[in-house]
Amino acid sequence: MPESIPAPLVIDALKDTFKEARAALAAEGWRNPTSPYLGWILSVPDTHQKTVLAALDKEDTIKTVTCATEDEACTIAAGLHLGGEPVVLMIQHAGLYASVNTLRGVSMDGKIPVFYMIGLLSREKDKDPKESRHSMVRFAEPLLDTFSVPHARLEGPNDVHLIPEYYRLSRQRKGPAAVLVGLETT
Amino acid sequence: MAMKPEDVLKVIAAHRGEAICVPTMTTGPAWREMQPEDFSVGCVGFMGGASSLGLGLALARPERRVVVFDGDGSLLMQLGSLATIAGARPRNLIHLLFKNGVYHTSGSQEIPGGLVVDFVTMAKGAGYKTTLQIGDLEEFKRRFPKMLTEEGPIFAELITTLADKTPMTDRRGVPFDQQAGKLREKLLGAQR
Ligand SMILES: Cc1ncc(C[n+]2csc(CCOP(=O)(O)OP(=O)(O)O)c2C)c(N)n1
Ligand SMILES: [Mg+2]
Repeated sequence: MPESIPAPLVIDALKDTFKEARAALAAEGWRNPTSPYLGWILSVPDTHQKTVLAALDKEDTIKTVTCATEDEACTIAAGLHLGGEPVVLMIQHAGLYASVNTLRGVSMDGKIPVFYMIGLLSREKDKDPKESRHSMVRFAEPLLDTFSVPHARLEGPNDVHLIPEYYRLSRQRKGPAAVLVGLETT
Repeated sequence: MAMKPEDVLKVIAAHRGEAICVPTMTTGPAWREMQPEDFSVGCVGFMGGASSLGLGLALARPERRVVVFDGDGSLLMQLGSLATIAGARPRNLIHLLFKNGVYHTSGSQEIPGGLVVDFVTMAKGAGYKTTLQIGDLEEFKRRFPKMLTEEGPIFAELITTLADKTPMTDRRGVPFDQQAGKLREKLLGAQR
């Protein structure tokens, strides 16, 4: 059975992700970051991850920019990456569906790493997402598969290590990678 | 009154200094000829994304100016980016809108509303620091150098005629991934 993940665990995983990302950027030659932040979150508010967004509001070390659309979020992430800054997208499944042309054109064809955290709002606790009553939940993984986007499920507190792992994977593959947040965070 | 887009680009090329330029659609071919090797990244394959790409670059490199050359049809496709940009308050972003009233690249179909659409009011309403309309080249020559030092985000609607070339009539454009990779390398190498 999936479990909810407490927000502080996600925040810690994000900080670890950004610290590792900064070290990798420094090794590449990016020195003296011009921004005072560990990293950037680009968010189109996801109901499923709202406790994480609330906790991020109180975090001075991570800068959250709220975007009007997921198309923008993906493309702003590309701009930040080209300028040597680390960035994570937080969106919901509906936003993934809304922005597939940008995922394809910017991240895949552009060979630009973009790491997504995607909330599966309405995912039933006792069902595999593929068997969900809700098309929003059901089609997320098949869609990512169609585009060959690597993805993993965050099904409980023990899975937060997948956040830095899939971030790293997006960098290695120079393209998109995603984790799917199974249950609403607490 | 309207300006030739190529004339506008020449003024930008003369004054941009170290600014990053983000052309899209019909500004692409002419810009490539004028500034082939410089800090630029042309948006190809994700219509509407130029303003957001410019915002990301501006946030990442606050020490540099970023100048977006947007299309009117393109901006309509991601109009919400006006509010996202204004909300993020990039002091170093200049958003130039090449307003020709049509989707020139796809065959010059009129955009919804045509030339009546008032992007200056939209950008002002979204909260840009400065918004203006320019239809005269002499005025652009006077005004553009100042934009490079003023606090942004700045939005300028440029009333233009049709460009001589479009990405469809001149297909020598470099794929986005190559342009993006090159810009990142250049920014990495140019750090102070
Ligand atoms: C998502 C999407 N829909 C439609 C198109 C087709 N299309 C290619 S260029 C273009 C027109 C661009 O117009 P504008 O932004 O005003 O630039 P201009 O060509 O006038 O400089 C359109 C509609 C596209 N490239 N992408
Ligand atoms: Mg146009």
